[in-house]
Amino acid sequence: MDEILERISTLLTTRFGVAEDEVAADSVLADLDLDSLALVEFGLVAEKEFGVRITEDEVSPNHTVSYLAELILAKAPVA
Amino acid sequence: MTGGAAVLAGLGSWLPPRVVDNAELCRRFDTSDEWIRSRTGIRQRHVVEPGMSTGDLAVEAGARALKSAHGCGVDTVVVATTTPDHSCPATAPEVASRLGLAGVAAFDLGAACSGFVYALAAGAGLIAAEVAQQVLVIGADSLSTVLDPADRANRAILGDGAGAVVLRQGLATEAGALGPFDLGSDGDQAGLIMVPAGGSRQRSTGERAADSEHYFRMAGKSVFRHAVQRMAASAQVALRRAGWTLRDVDRLVAHQANARILSAVGDELDLPPDRVVRNIDTVGNTSAASIPLALADAVRDGHLCPGDRVLLCAFGGGLTWASTTLCWPDVEPA
Repeated sequence: MDEILERISTLLTTRFGVAEDEVAADSVLADLDLDSLALVEFGLVAEKEFGVRITEDEVSPNHTVSYLAELILAKAPVA
Repeated sequence: MTGGAAVLAGLGSWLPPRVVDNAELCRRFDTSDEWIRSRTGIRQRHVVEPGMSTGDLAVEAGARALKSAHGCGVDTVVVATTTPDHSCPATAPEVASRLGLAGVAAFDLGAACSGFVYALAAGAGLIAAEVAQQVLVIGADSLSTVLDPADRANRAILGDGAGAVVLRQGLATEAGALGPFDLGSDGDQAGLIMVPAGGSRQRSTGERAADSEHYFRMAGKSVFRHAVQRMAASAQVALRRAGWTLRDVDRLVAHQANARILSAVGDELDLPPDRVVRNIDTVGNTSAASIPLALADAVRDGHLCPGDRVLLCAFGGGLTWASTTLCWPDVEPA
C-alpha cells in the first residue's frame, strides 16, 4: 500500500503539477486541484503505470489519495 | 499522367463574424471565465447569425481554398459536416453550385469531428482511383445550431467555422502529398456523442420527440478517455504506415475538442507542447472544421512552415477516429 501511495504521489507531482508537500494519504483530490477531468486523465496514466483500469464513475474529486490507492490495490493484477 | 497521390495545393478558412466571449457567457449562465478556461482552455468562440448555415461557412472557406490554389480547377467537392443545411439533400451540391462548380461530383461525409480527415482519405482515394483529379475538401460545422439554449457546458465548448483544402493529383514524393491513413470507428459507443432525434430512428416511431432530444449531448468524461486513447493509438498507426517515428513529427495538428484532451494526447505521444498546434482558445471546438482552421492559423502565425512533418489526428462522434501524415507544402492560406 505504501509503495502504491508513493507511486501515486510521484505521478501527481510530476504529471499533475501538485506540490510535493501537499500530497498526503488523507489529501482530498479536489483540494489538490484535481477536478473530474483531471481524474479521467489520472485514470489514463494509472492504466499505464499500474496496469489497472479506473473508470470515470469510480473516483470523484471528493475522494482522498488513500482511497485512490486502495482502489488501485483492489484492482491490481495478482502477481 | 503524374501519379496517384493526393497533394495539398490550397488552404482556406472562415469564421462567422459574431464572437461570443466568456464574459458574455458569464452574463447568460452561472459560470466563470476561470472555470471555462481551466476546464476547456477556451476564451471565445464564433457563432453563426440567425439564418446563416453550414453551407454558407463552407462556401466562404471553399472559395478561399480555391483562391489559395491559384486557379487549380476542381472536379469534386466533399463537405465533411455533422450540421448539414438540411437532412436532404446533402449540402455539398449546393456549395459546389455557389462556388461556380455546378456539375462536379459533390457529396457530404458524416464522421463528426473526424470528418475532415475522413474526407481527405475519400479525396485521396478518388484521386488514386482516377475518379477525380482535383478535390475540394471542406470541413464545416455550425454546432451552435443544435445546442440547448440552457446548455452552458456545450455552449462554452463548441464554436462554428469552416476550413478547406484543395487536393490535386501528384507524386507521393512531393511536399503536400498525403501519407497513408488510419481510419477507425466504434459504434458500440454511439450514444456518447449524439443528437438523438430528427433522424429515421425517431421519425419511424411516428411520435414527436421532446425538445431535449433534438439537442447535442456528449458524455464528457467518457469521451475524454476514449478521445485520448484512440487519438494516440491512431496517430501511432499512421506514423508507422508512413515510416515515421514520433521524433520525426514537427507538428501535431489534432482535432481540438478541449485543450486538456489536446495536452493529454501530446503527453501520450511524448510530444513537447511547442510541437502541438493549438488555437482552441480563440475558436473553441469547431468539429469538422477544427483541423483545417488550425492549419490555416498555424501557417499565418508562422508555426507551420514548408517542409514541416505534420501529423493530423482526429476523433469524434460515432465514435470515429482518423490520422494521416504529410510534409507541409509551400501554400499560403486565403
